[in-house]
Amino acid sequence: MSAVLGATTRANLKPTIPIWIVTILAVVVAFAVSTPFRTGTNASSLLLGMAPLLLVAAGQGIVILTGGIDLSVGSVVSLATVITASSLGDGSGTLNVALVVVAGVVIGTANGVGVAAGINPLVMTLATMGIVKGGALLIMDSPGGTVPASLLEGLTWSFGSVPLTFLISLGVVVVAWLLTSETRFGHTLYAVGHSGIGARRAALRTNRTLIVAYALSGLLASLGGLVLVGRVFSGDPLIGDAFSLDSITAVLLGGIAVVGGRGALLGIIPGVLLLALVDNLLNLAGVFSYYQYITKGMILIVALALYNAAGGELKIGGVRLLPGRGSKPDAGAPA
Amino acid sequence: MSAPTVTPPAENPEATTPAAPTRLQALGRHRSLGVSYGLALLFVIALGLTTKNGFSPERILNIVGQDAQLGMAVIGQAVVMLSGGLDLSIGPVMNLASIVSAVIMDGSNGNIPLAVAVTIAAGGAVGVVNGLLVAKLRIAPLLATLAVGTILQGIYYVWTEGQPKGNVAPGFRAIADDRILGFLPVSIVVWVALWSLVAFVLYRTTWGKGLYATGANPRAAWLSGIATSRKVIGAYVIAGMCAAIAGMQLTAYSGAASVNAADSYTLTTVAAAVIGGVAFAGGIGGLAGPFAGVLVLVFLDTILETLGVPSATQYIAQGLILIIMMLVSRRLNRGARGRDDA
Repeated sequence: MSAVLGATTRANLKPTIPIWIVTILAVVVAFAVSTPFRTGTNASSLLLGMAPLLLVAAGQGIVILTGGIDLSVGSVVSLATVITASSLGDGSGTLNVALVVVAGVVIGTANGVGVAAGINPLVMTLATMGIVKGGALLIMDSPGGTVPASLLEGLTWSFGSVPLTFLISLGVVVVAWLLTSETRFGHTLYAVGHSGIGARRAALRTNRTLIVAYALSGLLASLGGLVLVGRVFSGDPLIGDAFSLDSITAVLLGGIAVVGGRGALLGIIPGVLLLALVDNLLNLAGVFSYYQYITKGMILIVALALYNAAGGELKIGGVRLLPGRGSKPDAGAPA
Repeated sequence: MSAPTVTPPAENPEATTPAAPTRLQALGRHRSLGVSYGLALLFVIALGLTTKNGFSPERILNIVGQDAQLGMAVIGQAVVMLSGGLDLSIGPVMNLASIVSAVIMDGSNGNIPLAVAVTIAAGGAVGVVNGLLVAKLRIAPLLATLAVGTILQGIYYVWTEGQPKGNVAPGFRAIADDRILGFLPVSIVVWVALWSLVAFVLYRTTWGKGLYATGANPRAAWLSGIATSRKVIGAYVIAGMCAAIAGMQLTAYSGAASVNAADSYTLTTVAAAVIGGVAFAGGIGGLAGPFAGVLVLVFLDTILETLGVPSATQYIAQGLILIIMMLVSRRLNRGARGRDDA
């Protein structure tokens, strides 16, 4: 292990340990307590539900590592489902997929250029969120459309109760983690997140890194929309709205600091699993679905409060689980 | 300032005393005010040109009066942004206010005072929660208010089961329908009154000066003896109350309580504040700019409606204006503060 991964990579994995423990415990408890949870159908639907969020959260995580935030991912997800379900080209779906990829990269790059030009990430992505939402609504003003049959077949392929899209999404998160922790691009990414000015003074190519980070986020969000079609079988110009908050929650649950530069993308896996698990258990228990808003909000607040209360560091048995955060007395400034 | 392409070094950010703006800051503020009002004027002209009889003051007052709730909600958003924060729970608070007020009124004019009092108190209570999460638990404002907004959404969806609830008293609709002296909508009067009250607190009290100082540099403000937590919590309370009043105005206008009518207001308030020159970094801007920001957004929507373009285009137009205004205000504020990476 130690020979394969760099020291920084391993240090950055430490903040993800608490969420792994919590999530594994939650899965074990759910397995022990709930009979319907143990069925293959439920496992399949749980994993299928995780796939889009894994992709979107991976992109969101890359952006949050730079100290930014991407609020446009939800609209990009919607746009991708709409493009996938609109009749284009020869009906094989190739053109749809190509357009989904292009749209994601273009929107993400636009975000990146804006942020690199000095616009606050929040406002920049808020603005593109509106623009993309308008675009999606112009293409399709209500849910519907037809997905090319061959494309749908690929999106719903499954090995036993493990959907193909879940495995691919999992693979993408691992690749994204290696990209951000073991490459030169990744080192610059963390440097920008840790101190934008410091990175610039060290002559790192901060602007290029920012643009690539947002472009990746756009791309992963649009792929998340593509994968989502494998679950809903149609296009919907508003379906992605919840993904902005959910992806941010998953990333922060995964131990990535909202100020940037700390944490590891691998933490997204337990983060997404925990969110999916809560939704899944509430569904199985037959609880009114609107309670999910309340649980999601509470999880986000509790997680952030715990990470903050841990302050500089969290030690278990002498092992530092959270890296130092430095003193941040500011009662305010958003990311 | 002679080399605009190079980032000004972040030496001594404390050197600019936020309580007494430097000449450069004051200049930046006036220039960005000029831009916001210039844009608003441009849009009034465009509005007038799109239809026959477009410049009739009565028509313009009606258009503005119909969207007074946006203006009321923006006041709170601007105060929070001045404190260095952000309130993404404004839409949910407005929906909550709409439901709470309609349920308490229950169709009877006699219940209106109680409904108004309880609703404003509820908005203030949400503000206290937001403020405590931000100031005491040190959760980033964006996330704290997003989470609180989501929880509120869950609460009123569970409470109403997603259906309209309550019954608006006939007398309550006067805010939306009545005209003072036959031409001035009551909603505009309420809006201006709320604006004046908050402006007084912000500009003419030590609390307001402290809020500006806290937003511009929380550390420096804290070191100079300002109770920064109270300023931050107070800002969110003002935002919650303004959103509650805005929610009631929306209810009066539409005549029914709704669980989702105000959803879009969260983001339009941010847009209006930004167009009005309120900076995300905190401590820059005021309440006059957002007033123009509201006019810009309202006129823009009306122009697009008059032109008969699909309503989805409004999202696109708002997004584009937001980006352009950010680029402009960034240029104007450059050099007004030492710190460049907000």
